[in-house]
Amino acid sequence: MSALPHEIDSYAPPRVATPTHVGQGVTPLPLPPRHSPPRRAARFWHSRAAAVLMATLSIAGVLLFWQLATHYKLDAYIRFNNIPTPAQVLEKVVEVNQSPKFATNIGISVRRILLGFLVATVLGVGLGVVIGRYRIVRALAMPALEVFRPIPAIAWVPMSIMLWPDNEVSIVFITFLGAFFPILLNTVHGVEAIDPVLLRAARTLGAGEASLLRHVVLPGALPHIFTGLAVGMGVAWVSLIAAEMISGQFGIGYFTWEAYSLISYAEIALGMITIGVLGLLCSGAIRLLARLAMPWQTHSQGAR
Amino acid sequence: MDMPVASQGRVDVRDLHIRFHTKGQEVEAVRAANVHVRPGEFVSLIGPSGCGKSTLLNAVAGFIEPSDGQVLLDGQRVTGPGSDRGVVFQQYSLFPWMTVRANVEFGLRMKGVSASERQAQARTLLGLAGLLSFENHYPDQLSGGMKQRVGIVRALATSPQVLLMDEPFGALDSQTRVVMQEILTNMWQRLRISVLFITHDIEEAVFLSDRIYVMTARPGRIKAELDVPLPRPRTPAMTSAPEFAAMVRQIKGLIREESIAAMGGELSEGGLAGLCTEVGPQGVGHLV
Repeated sequence: MSALPHEIDSYAPPRVATPTHVGQGVTPLPLPPRHSPPRRAARFWHSRAAAVLMATLSIAGVLLFWQLATHYKLDAYIRFNNIPTPAQVLEKVVEVNQSPKFATNIGISVRRILLGFLVATVLGVGLGVVIGRYRIVRALAMPALEVFRPIPAIAWVPMSIMLWPDNEVSIVFITFLGAFFPILLNTVHGVEAIDPVLLRAARTLGAGEASLLRHVVLPGALPHIFTGLAVGMGVAWVSLIAAEMISGQFGIGYFTWEAYSLISYAEIALGMITIGVLGLLCSGAIRLLARLAMPWQTHSQGAR
Repeated sequence: MDMPVASQGRVDVRDLHIRFHTKGQEVEAVRAANVHVRPGEFVSLIGPSGCGKSTLLNAVAGFIEPSDGQVLLDGQRVTGPGSDRGVVFQQYSLFPWMTVRANVEFGLRMKGVSASERQAQARTLLGLAGLLSFENHYPDQLSGGMKQRVGIVRALATSPQVLLMDEPFGALDSQTRVVMQEILTNMWQRLRISVLFITHDIEEAVFLSDRIYVMTARPGRIKAELDVPLPRPRTPAMTSAPEFAAMVRQIKGLIREESIAAMGGELSEGGLAGLCTEVGPQGVGHLV
């Protein structure tokens, strides 16, 4: 017996229309029982306004600690003596934006991420669907992929520099590698997790293999694919920053490492914060895409 | 929508054997089964759980290849699944990522029917099932009974010759189940499509069917074939008719023997009676 999602309990259809052709003696379908309305306080803490308030408090707390720790030069094993204050970092934001260098560094990092991630998505999803669906492909491809999977993308840096004709391509390749495996493995898992009865249903409705892939396998695996994209985006940033720090010219990772070499403390902090904000924006973009691509999910599981 | 012609939709299962190989062992699921559905007829297949009735239906649907014997649809050998046989599954099997209407349109889309034509046909069928106001809902927003009505409508949308239903109401609560049976019998009355219906619910089989096959415990064989003497169209009042009760009693007797056999172990008629023996304070010692 299949378990119904719990939302069904609280969902009461307005009224079940009696089918026009049904004869006498048909009673409307029984309505599920309604839950008592949640208490007002509980409702507030679940509301959007409360979420925004909590988020503001959370970030304000971090800033406050940073300000106090740097102002009083906190030195208790962990040392804040050389750490710049929030105000110094803010000054730096204004300073670096007087030349286009900083914005160029950001632009280059974003372009590397987008390129590497896009290639990883196309190859990861494409290969993942094929591996998940066809046992022969799986048996043939997975052993080779399993050999490469445990090697962190950063470990590829020296090899990558030798492999590719120029530095830029090798950094994009590192970024691609970081994103590729999470996307691939989640796609494979998503394809395998599809309820076989849906495949049977589609075949009795006349779907051939191509239609099956497009209309059943791909949308059925989509929730797992987006999990892979979210994880992959995180790993892509880790790999990119490491690659930029080691081999780079340009990029926000390079900017941060250069700041360390030049002992520019405020720029180190600025680089870190910028990386954090960029990562946040990227994962936010993926969440947004997921919501747009899977409208049925917002009904069944709330916003992911 | 063009009505299915009642001269089509004949199902002949001839001397069907189905054997599975699992872990080096051969399991015989169906043995020498002969089942026939005449055009426009409603036929049920009933038996104890695990008797191979779903396996038989899967062979008609084309999901399983017969080990021996034949499955014919209008004289043509069945070689795989196809839209000439609509299937309704117990687990609803609606595509969660498609709206109700997109689910119903799916079969027509696979046939290459134009979008406007698809929409018109889907809306007509949804109207018949009283679901038009839910056409833009997703399956997860529907109750079990509504999901299964969509499942039936989706299977009918491609105008199949025969409807194969595998315990379609098995997951529903008993009240919803009764209503669904009435909806189904009314739809069938209008469409006059051949139906092969799998169930383990005796009342359900008697209420819906023209003819009932009773299957034995595994390996599934046809134990009896019974005509249902109730007139058409069927109404809920008929379930209290003496013919109805007599038929249910008769099938119950036939299935009881098989259920006991299917449960295995040392259970027998005599053994079951022994289970009712009152045990006094002295314990069970004196029984041995």
